[in-house]
Amino acid sequence: MNEQKTTHFGYEQVAVEKKAERVADVFHSVAAKYDLMNDLMSAGVHRLWKRFTIEASAVRAGHKVLDIAGGTGDLSYQFAKLVGKDGQVILADINSSMLNVGRDRLIDRGVAGNIQFAQADAQYLPFPDNTFDCITIAFGLRNVTDKDLALRSMLRVLKPGGRLLVLEFSKPQHSLLEKVYDTYSFKLLPMIGKLVTNDADSYRYLAESIRMHPDQETLKSMMNDAGFVNTEFHNMTGGIVALHKGVKP
Amino acid sequence: MDAMFTTAAFASAEKMINAALAYDPATRIALSKLAPQVLAIKLTTPEMCIYVAPAVDGIKLLGHYEGDITTQVQGSAPALITLLKSERVNLKDSGVQVIGSTTFLAELQQILKKIDIDWEEMLSQIFGDIIGHQGAELIRSKMNWAKDRASNITRLTSEFVTEELQTLPSKAEVAFFNQQVDEIRLGVDRVEARINQLLQKNFQP
Repeated sequence: MNEQKTTHFGYEQVAVEKKAERVADVFHSVAAKYDLMNDLMSAGVHRLWKRFTIEASAVRAGHKVLDIAGGTGDLSYQFAKLVGKDGQVILADINSSMLNVGRDRLIDRGVAGNIQFAQADAQYLPFPDNTFDCITIAFGLRNVTDKDLALRSMLRVLKPGGRLLVLEFSKPQHSLLEKVYDTYSFKLLPMIGKLVTNDADSYRYLAESIRMHPDQETLKSMMNDAGFVNTEFHNMTGGIVALHKGVKP
Repeated sequence: MDAMFTTAAFASAEKMINAALAYDPATRIALSKLAPQVLAIKLTTPEMCIYVAPAVDGIKLLGHYEGDITTQVQGSAPALITLLKSERVNLKDSGVQVIGSTTFLAELQQILKKIDIDWEEMLSQIFGDIIGHQGAELIRSKMNWAKDRASNITRLTSEFVTEELQTLPSKAEVAFFNQQVDEIRLGVDRVEARINQLLQKNFQP
């Protein structure tokens, strides 16, 4: 019998080739109100998580930066200012709706000249080897079907000495915080999603996908296995979010 | 402490500073010319590190930075504040250590001294011309008073402690005491040399 390979989509098991499609549906649905929902869900704290990521990036004028799953362009906007006219930022997202929202938003904010947009799959990045000084993937890795493949792809396109920053939901470090967080994300979050975007399912998927994502130590060892060195992570907001950093040797 | 607390504090401070600098274009232009240099201020008491990065739209205040640092200034908070306010270019006995480019530090210090925020314009935009003007007058008078107090307070405190309380000697007394100590030390050195000379003479075969 021909056994079909499966992977998780939240708590649901789906065929590997179906996951990207299902994730795409979620983001097509939430793209228009993605920023508003981020602010509502995190009480604005996502801005601090992203700010810390920029601080840890060590990006400077002239650098080439790839912002994978860049969505509405929060990080790309800051990177475009940091790299200046001699640098280059590529905002990549697999989802066309998110990419369109991000592109419109950045153009509206006057960012042009040193930024390009690419609809790309993190597992098969369409860039030459040793291209980027820094790669970021913020709240995107958990939606990728094969995370190991994506990490290896990122390693390939990074320049030696370049750094990968993975900003992602992770495991809270205190049991009490974990309980509060569980209640919030499984009960309140879908309700907010229903009220604002009329789409409770997408936000239920968000909560479930966070629980299925590897915890801090597991992701760190996955990065080591992919070939990154000097890997480390910073917990933020009690471990609800973690920033992982790895350097290409 | 969760990194988010310091990140939030620095983000708020940065926003306030840049909002004020928006009303001082000369300072903003001068700061933008210093980009992309980064100043790291490492406080020993209280223990913390602040990174100041001049940028096109003002300054960036960071609690965490992993890029190249142009200048690192290290010392206690009081020592750094004293240095910032003073005209001195020599760091000897200041309790402050500087690593990296001192030119960048001097440029930054000069810019900070010339800050002249147009409070009237800022307040007028929020409260209207009349209240804005009165508010700005109040801020200006308070700031001038604070500047006068700041320059006088060191002298007044020193006079009070030496003249009124008489708990510390005056500068002149300390200088005289030091001079006497120096003379005694020289005298002892001369006596020692003389004794050595006599001993050598007496014990020569």
